[in-house]
Amino acid sequence: MTIPTFILKNALRNKRRALLSISSVAVSLFLLVTLQVALRELTIPPQSAGAELRVAVRNKISLTNPLPARQRGIIEKIPGVEAVTPFTWFGGKYKNEGGMSFAQFAMDADKLRSVFGEAKMDMDGYEKFNATKDACVLGKITADKYHLKVGDHITLDSTVYPGSLTFTIAGIYAGTPDDRNMLFRQDYLDESIGEPGYVGMWWLKVKSANDMAPVIKAVNAAFQNSAAEVRAESERNFQLGFISMLGNIKTLIASISTVVVFTLVLVTASTMSMAVRERFRELAILKALGFRRREMFAFILAESFGLAVTGAALGIGGAYCLYTFGDIGKLTAGIFVSFEVTPRIMGFAALVAAVLGIVSAVAPSLSVARMSVVNGLKTLD
Amino acid sequence: MALPLTYNFRNVLVRWRATLATILGIGLVVAVFVLVQALAVGLEKSASNTGDPRNIMIVRKGSTAESTSQVSLEQFQIIRYWDQIARDSTGAPLVSADVVTLISQPRSDGRGEANVSVRGLTPVGMALRPQVKLVSGRWFAPGKREVAVSQKLARRFTGFHVGDTFRTAGNTLTVVGEFDGSNSAFDSEVWMDADETRSLFDRQNYSSLLVRAANPQAGKEIISRIENDKRLPLLAEPEVKYYGDQTATALPIKILGNFLATAMSIGAVFAAMNTMYASVGSRTREIGTLRVLGFRRRTILAGFIIEGALLAAIGGGLGCLLALPLHGVSTGTMSFNSFSETVFEFRITPWLAAKGMIFAVVVGIIGSLLPAIRASRLPVITALKSV
Repeated sequence: MTIPTFILKNALRNKRRALLSISSVAVSLFLLVTLQVALRELTIPPQSAGAELRVAVRNKISLTNPLPARQRGIIEKIPGVEAVTPFTWFGGKYKNEGGMSFAQFAMDADKLRSVFGEAKMDMDGYEKFNATKDACVLGKITADKYHLKVGDHITLDSTVYPGSLTFTIAGIYAGTPDDRNMLFRQDYLDESIGEPGYVGMWWLKVKSANDMAPVIKAVNAAFQNSAAEVRAESERNFQLGFISMLGNIKTLIASISTVVVFTLVLVTASTMSMAVRERFRELAILKALGFRRREMFAFILAESFGLAVTGAALGIGGAYCLYTFGDIGKLTAGIFVSFEVTPRIMGFAALVAAVLGIVSAVAPSLSVARMSVVNGLKTLD
Repeated sequence: MALPLTYNFRNVLVRWRATLATILGIGLVVAVFVLVQALAVGLEKSASNTGDPRNIMIVRKGSTAESTSQVSLEQFQIIRYWDQIARDSTGAPLVSADVVTLISQPRSDGRGEANVSVRGLTPVGMALRPQVKLVSGRWFAPGKREVAVSQKLARRFTGFHVGDTFRTAGNTLTVVGEFDGSNSAFDSEVWMDADETRSLFDRQNYSSLLVRAANPQAGKEIISRIENDKRLPLLAEPEVKYYGDQTATALPIKILGNFLATAMSIGAVFAAMNTMYASVGSRTREIGTLRVLGFRRRTILAGFIIEGALLAAIGGGLGCLLALPLHGVSTGTMSFNSFSETVFEFRITPWLAAKGMIFAVVVGIIGSLLPAIRASRLPVITALKSV
């Protein structure tokens, strides 16, 4: 019998316990990966193509305060600005659903391609969106969810403006990190609410990456001390602003992850101790035969490491498969659209498993090291 | 004959080294379960603490938050002098026309900004919300750019303590007082004078009306009168119901809580099983002896299940104790309704603690079921022979 088969036989001699230990490590690491991915999704939102050339301009008071439409002319004249479009939150509810299931924004039809070029749609869609006042374009996820197709009409009750509006779907787009939004025409909204002369916010496309900082500075300066001061920022910073609003949720998830890891160490270490205590007599015989302490430690370590790593492979692999091939929108009731298990998170979970395997071997090894051969041989169970 | 409970209890104690990790493990699982649920309870509690049963809330039909609702001056004038509205000692109707807007403020921990609700209101509006009490400084003076801030909010943002100033909408506002909202939704608000709010934020309309009905019957009449008046595209609801519907924010937290409870309980069941199998394994001879003494299979079965349940219950109790220090600690996140910071407390109710205990005991019973069956099926003679 070779040393590796000896270790393997030992690990599997109580198959039930090995299975239970592996399963509990697997479940815990699955949970850890899930929490880490959720934390990452909340704190590092997916970046869309073209984000590095986009600037978001909102009212300095807060995102919910409108901006005067007359600002457009001033922004357009700022050097480095390629295109400007209003972007107004409509807050529409579809089909008397309890809450809002997708976001809708009013914008300029002819600016869709220049500002949000990553939203891919056929040419026909762009032409219809430009030509028809009540046209809208819909993200593929939402279109699929409600079985909507080009040419269908949808009616939304606004929670922000009085009444409801009916739209005709001109196209269905895909290719953004979150293909759920609906975009429709600002002039259609203005007409229906009596031309109030306000928009929600502005989105800008700058000509090159070098123009970003000067444009942001110029936009902020242009409306300093005016009736509506603005906050211009890169798309990335704008997204991070949303994350800051989530407040203590991040801390909550991070602390739960810590508790999960701690519980995991505790339970696995206790299982290892049980496994070792059960065979004290055998280990005493090994000692009597002349095996050294570090060899005994290696036996225990290899076993506990093996259990931890097998559990880790199952848990991390399971999480990876579920979140990569499963429908995450359905799993999380629409809270997350992407749920990417990154190599970094998998590496972190594997590291936790490795440390776990080592730590769990320490306590039992110490008691084996301390045991005298005579007492060990006397042990009954 | 049943095994005496002390037998089970002392068994748990005698093997404390082996059981300690399991008890701690179950304890931590229960603590996480209770704490996440305590957040959801706290959010719901803050909504249910807010309404006064005598008050009627009036907002624009179709709006989901006060900050996106609009009530025009004409609409306010139509409703103001209705007979169904209670009057104060001077004969003035108890109607509060409020303006609610959001401002973006830097957090005190330096990690970015968040939206904060600002409510512009009059002394009548304050009288209609008696749960809000001043704790330091003074109330804002009408006609001045002064604000009073919720004490809990003041801790979370910069420039919100008494004596501080902050800039918004091109003006400087001075904080003159801090108030306590008695764990209501007003704990997440900044209060200032209604007319000042309207001029500062350039608002022609009010956001909402809060009226005190003269009596319960009058309250119903106000609601149906607004419903039937074509000039008023408004929605009137008892204030209690309005805030009761504002708990959508609790939903993702509940989903998180249920997911964690499920995943962690599976892990805890495995741990409990391991411990109980080991316990059965090391007591094979003892079980044989019990059988020889005349204890029946089902008694042994029940005995081990009770032992597992007991073990888990100790863990559950420990978990509740671990969670308890966080009771009443305030925390905050963005409300999906108002799109602004909402402050609430961890609330560990007796029912929630009981749920945690039930959860623990269920984990214990499921975890000990298979080991108990194994114990009860041990053949007597082999069991006695085992070392």
